[in-house]
Amino acid sequence: MTDTHLPNATAKLPGQHRIRLLGLGFSGVFLAIALKLAFTSVIAPLSEEAKTIAEAVQRIPRPDIVDRNGNVLATDVAVASLYADPRKILDLEEAVELITGVLPDVDAKELDKKFRQPGRAFVWLKRQVSPEERDAVFDLGIPGVAYVNERKRVYPQGRLAAHTVGYVDVDTKGIAGIERYLDTEGAMYTASLIEPERGNTAPAELALDIRVQHALTDEVQQAITKFKAIGGGGIVLNIETGEIVALVSLPDFNPNAEDKNIGKDQQNRMLSGVYELGSVVKAVTFAMAFDNGTITMNSKYDARYALVIGNARINDFHAQRRVLTVPEIFTNSSNIGTAKMALDVGIEKHQAFLEKVGLLDKLLTEVPETARPILPKKWGRLVSATAAFGHGFAVQPLQGLAVVAGILNGGKMAQPTFLKRSKEEADVLAKDIVKAKTSQYMRELFRLNALEGSAGKADVIGYRVGGKTGTAEKVVRGRYSKDHRLASFIGAFPMDKPQYAILIMLDEPKPLPETYGFATSGWNAVPTAGKVIARIAPLLGIEPVLTAADREKIAKLAKAKTKI
Amino acid sequence: MLKIVNGVLVLMVLVSGSILYAMEHKTRGLEREIRTTTAEIDALEEDIKLLNAEWSSLTRPERIQLLATRHLQMAPAEARQFTSLEELSARIAEVRGKMQEKPPTDAIGELMKKMQ
Repeated sequence: MTDTHLPNATAKLPGQHRIRLLGLGFSGVFLAIALKLAFTSVIAPLSEEAKTIAEAVQRIPRPDIVDRNGNVLATDVAVASLYADPRKILDLEEAVELITGVLPDVDAKELDKKFRQPGRAFVWLKRQVSPEERDAVFDLGIPGVAYVNERKRVYPQGRLAAHTVGYVDVDTKGIAGIERYLDTEGAMYTASLIEPERGNTAPAELALDIRVQHALTDEVQQAITKFKAIGGGGIVLNIETGEIVALVSLPDFNPNAEDKNIGKDQQNRMLSGVYELGSVVKAVTFAMAFDNGTITMNSKYDARYALVIGNARINDFHAQRRVLTVPEIFTNSSNIGTAKMALDVGIEKHQAFLEKVGLLDKLLTEVPETARPILPKKWGRLVSATAAFGHGFAVQPLQGLAVVAGILNGGKMAQPTFLKRSKEEADVLAKDIVKAKTSQYMRELFRLNALEGSAGKADVIGYRVGGKTGTAEKVVRGRYSKDHRLASFIGAFPMDKPQYAILIMLDEPKPLPETYGFATSGWNAVPTAGKVIARIAPLLGIEPVLTAADREKIAKLAKAKTKI
Repeated sequence: MLKIVNGVLVLMVLVSGSILYAMEHKTRGLEREIRTTTAEIDALEEDIKLLNAEWSSLTRPERIQLLATRHLQMAPAEARQFTSLEELSARIAEVRGKMQEKPPTDAIGELMKKMQ
């Protein structure tokens, strides 16, 4: 039975060698395929990592921006844009009726006109609709109606911190603020946020705290309304790490609006504006004089007569007409005394000190909208004397605050940053600007000024506030104007070991009956700072300490309240 | 002999073929499942993002302040409301003295007795 087909199996057939060769060839190739198969599937399959990298490269989402506690400030959401192909719609009239029924803001007549245009294959129904609207239209079941997903950058916090966060254009490219930083100078930082194994991007964490930001915005806004100022701003800075916990500039803008309408008024006053800060700069002069050893706490300066340099006269706003000690010069904010102090140090050393603390250079942070200081062209005796009390040179308010923060932080100035950072990271970049002893003296002067000087209204019970006020006259048509003022306050708390520095600035505050006709800083910027500190100090975890005098004050206040 | 071998081989071809077919079918099913699941994950992630944005918008401090002033009688904490442990330790003796005057009350215990 077996050999019926092959009668002579053992006999050699013609071409048997060829068949064997062919067989061998086939089995060789099959073996190779089998081996390769076994190799790729069993022995060394494509590693997980290689797979995910391939996926991640396809779509890298823009990082979200969150505050220091993880509250979302900017994020990407998918929004649907609805469109239709009129050629596929069976009943145009019915379709228009149904669609406008669900999307009331779509004009029925116009849509009908578009649908009836001959040969038209694509009509936008509505762009960037909410998920509810999308589903509602989709549920109508009209053939030819579909949607595409588009990405849109949204700012859930709205106006809050709009200057810091910035915004993007229609192609989600950063135009201003941190958004711009992520695409330009901070591209390396952005790249470090990508998590390839998850095909995702970690959020960019800012130093900002939205609670503090809101408290600051709220109080500055109230002050602007109350004092009819044209604008204002404020900064809260962590002295040790240089983190900007809050930064406000008003008027601000809505980053979610299509037309942001950003004019000159809406610019970031804290960074892209430069101002003559006036008397708050005296703190820098005092620190310099202490550091150079030309003054001690007991030094005295004659402030009886105006200081005459060439044909210019330097006078005091609150003239005391007597010999003043160093603490008195500080609390009375004497221009004469401070100018003499700077002249004692010397022009070169004065200039060198301002250079060292960075007031002569543009301060760079992550937010790109920053302005260069405006400096006098030539440094002479008069320039040095006026610069000592903040006249004749203009800097970014943030710059001024950073220097004062450095002076109060034991002389160690941290580089200001908008990104979250630890103390260790900050210390690497920090630079020593004055001696620890100088810092100690300055802390005493700042505290003294809040206890019995011009910053009294900022002294929140229990939080040991210290500060320096400044009221500068603005230059209007090339002259200093008595009616256009810039009121500012720079302070810190708690003064025994300062942790946060605060700056409040009001642009052209007007005098009010309840301020007895005054429009100087002590009547507007200082009380605003006090209100801000009262709100933010508990949020920032500052432990209040009550002295016996504080308790008396509280008791008195409570009594006054019950009487009413 | 050869016929048996051939028969077995044919059978094996059929069996392995059907196994292969079944496996391929299953793989396709699984692939489809992966695709739909990935799409679902993507959709859910989008939803999460949207909800996060919404949450952030609803919890913005400005709105919370508005709601708080309208519905709650609360104010920022003042320094006088804080105290330190040292200050407390000075008053412990005072409080203890008061506690010894009254016999300790057990409100929950009494409630349970009533229930029994």
